Amino acid sequence: MVDAARQPLIEVKTFTEVEKVEGYVGNFVVTLREKTKYVRADRCNGCGACTKACPVEIPNYFEMNLAPRKAAYIPMSQAVPLIYNIDMDACIHCYKCVEACGALEAIDFSMEDKLVEQEIGAIVVATGFSHFDPTPMTEYGYGRFPNVITAMEMERLNNSAGPTNGALIRPSDGKSPKQIAIINCVGSRDKRYNPSCSNFCCMYAIKNALLLKQMHPDTEISIYYIDIRTPSKGYEEFYDRARESGIRFIQGRPSEITEDPDTHQLFISSEDITLGKVIEREYDMVMLNQAAIPQPDQNHMSSVLNVAQSPGGWFMEYHPKLRPIDSPTDGIFFAGACQGPKDIPASVAQGSAAASRASRILHSDSWQIEPTVAVVWPDRCVSAKGQACGICARACPYGAIDYTKGLAAEVITAKCHGCGACVGECPHDSITQLHYTDAQVLAQIRTLLAVEPEKKILAFRCQWCSYGGADLAGTSHFEYSANERGLRVMCSARMDADLIYEAYRLGAGAILYSGCHPQDCHYITGQVVGAKRAARLEKIFERMQMSPGRFRVEWISAAEGDKYARVINEMQASLDAIPEDVLKAEIERLRPEMAKKLTKLDEIPGVAQALVQVDFIVNEMVGKEKVA
Amino acid sequence: MSGFTDSNALSERVKAIPGGDMLMMCYSCGTCTSKCMIQTKLESSYNPRRLIREAVFNMDDAAFADKTIWLCTACDLCYPACPQKIHISGVINAVKALAVESGKKTPYQVAKVDELTCVACGLCVKICPYEAISLVEKRVAFRGTIPVASVDQGKCMACGMCTAACRSTSIRLAEDYNDAELIDTLLSWLGTERVSS
Repeated sequence: MVDAARQPLIEVKTFTEVEKVEGYVGNFVVTLREKTKYVRADRCNGCGACTKACPVEIPNYFEMNLAPRKAAYIPMSQAVPLIYNIDMDACIHCYKCVEACGALEAIDFSMEDKLVEQEIGAIVVATGFSHFDPTPMTEYGYGRFPNVITAMEMERLNNSAGPTNGALIRPSDGKSPKQIAIINCVGSRDKRYNPSCSNFCCMYAIKNALLLKQMHPDTEISIYYIDIRTPSKGYEEFYDRARESGIRFIQGRPSEITEDPDTHQLFISSEDITLGKVIEREYDMVMLNQAAIPQPDQNHMSSVLNVAQSPGGWFMEYHPKLRPIDSPTDGIFFAGACQGPKDIPASVAQGSAAASRASRILHSDSWQIEPTVAVVWPDRCVSAKGQACGICARACPYGAIDYTKGLAAEVITAKCHGCGACVGECPHDSITQLHYTDAQVLAQIRTLLAVEPEKKILAFRCQWCSYGGADLAGTSHFEYSANERGLRVMCSARMDADLIYEAYRLGAGAILYSGCHPQDCHYITGQVVGAKRAARLEKIFERMQMSPGRFRVEWISAAEGDKYARVINEMQASLDAIPEDVLKAEIERLRPEMAKKLTKLDEIPGVAQALVQVDFIVNEMVGKEKVA
Repeated sequence: MSGFTDSNALSERVKAIPGGDMLMMCYSCGTCTSKCMIQTKLESSYNPRRLIREAVFNMDDAAFADKTIWLCTACDLCYPACPQKIHISGVINAVKALAVESGKKTPYQVAKVDELTCVACGLCVKICPYEAISLVEKRVAFRGTIPVASVDQGKCMACGMCTAACRSTSIRLAEDYNDAELIDTLLSWLGTERVSS
């Protein structure tokens, strides 16, 4: 931190909040709230006279409230920049600090927060993580039993700069504990609180145990665990060292901690799984190794930055394997635990990677984006004709569409990620998506349904998930009906109702409308747009009295090849259950109804020509007599 | 891929019974075993975690011979403690139902009805917390075909509620406890001795 602050090209802004992020890759405008410290940075020399003079004492959050601090303070001794701060919530306005500061006149109670706008090329988000508060887990008695402490409290107690100067004492009587237990997975791997594994706590428990053992060789330390996970380089060796040094590892998750109210001794009841026996052991002090959870304001930051969150609340990366550092928004990168719990080596690696990803933008005059962007035909947009609309702007997950009544909607190309939500939603077919134009997709549908369409299952798949699922089903050799005809678009949001109607009009037997699970969407909220439309379509087809099973909506991830195969086979089974003449009669009955919903299709630029071309090629290839 | 497993396997049969469906989610942390008092207070071989494991690995013989299935009272202390949210007593009950189905009987005592004196008032039926008692039409020596209480051996937990409720002392446990014995046992659990008066 000190090194970073000394670097002339790095500006460190502490005590500053990000209020607003506007613009796009290379051209962000970020509004920052520089919170006032009531101490002038240009005058404070960090002498600390104000802290000595201040009569107010409040709990020090940096010391996990185990020690007091003054209302005039620095958060920690290594604070950068070394400028003192007046905590206005605690200050009693005695102005003793002003007197103590004297001729420097650094303290100024009239200062106010400053809002600063800054032009930014790329953003790296490194907001870290927070800790699970074990109070709701009443079985462990945190908050009730003084000698049950959290990992962060232990961190301060065992720190030579901490509140006890490194003396390890137990909170109830100040004596040095001889029997210490560490309980892992407190609030993590626990479906009642946080179902995921917090990644680094096994190593953290071992590190703490070894540190305690080195400082206080006469203490006995036991670690209670479900599984010990030491997968990285050198970790297993570290685990070995801990075993060698006499730290006891007990496999079994404690069900309860009880306390002797007179001596505040603790008793942990757990099953020793290797023995199959319930054991109860006595301890002087217990450390709860809490789960890592997202920051409390992670949701807020996610909306400020317009980046999605994964299940569990962490920021979601562009792609978990191939682009784990990029956010779904171009020009925003993640470093460290804000994207998911990770230990120090992984955080440092991701931080360096994020910096180099960001510098690619800073060193470029132009920036390449995916070519599948949306384009508006201004002459078709009803807004240009004065009609109120704006449906496209509401559908866009990225805020990439400028909509003003009276003007044609405009796509900010640099912000567009090419999901096609606006294209699918536009009721006037005034927007199209490059490489997935209506003409191109309709041509594919027409080709796929050219021969015996009533026997076909037309599967709309999204590029990132259900297409991947189908791919996996293939590479895993999960067999599914050969009557399936897959069609790829970028997102379920692109699966325009017109495309579905047209497929039914052409006589498709069944249609699968598939995409990602809502929390996995590659386009933040693209799936939500797609799912709403699918629900509308389901109702419409129900009203048309379409046979059940002919329209199916399924959310399938790229890892669910088996599900993809199963869904297609089930669809084939329900298609087989409809007698052929009944199905054909139904297709004929619904054909005019589908056509009615499609009146403007051939007005879309390029569509008519594309279809003529398709018919020509198909007829040449399969012969006229077979084409429906 | 569910298609690859044998639907006759113990794990599949347990999963098919309501309450047993979460079986495979167990990661063997042992919270249930230490939350329960039966192992430390009553039967040292009692172990719900091991029973789940036996069921997961389709060890029919081991699971059906496990005393755990007969001793769980479904008090559900372990249920809210389970980090995987498994309804453990549901799984145990499912294994027990399958054990009963395969002809296994509880090694523990169950309530017995004295059919010569039972008046079929139905008090025991109402009070039984395990729904183990029902009234059945039956031919009884000297009394002809009459309705009497009947105990389902697979369900009875020998709690003694029926014994206490019966007005005609027609239902009882094979070994009755007397009050002094019960109090001594309780005191020994609490680790104290009786104060002699």
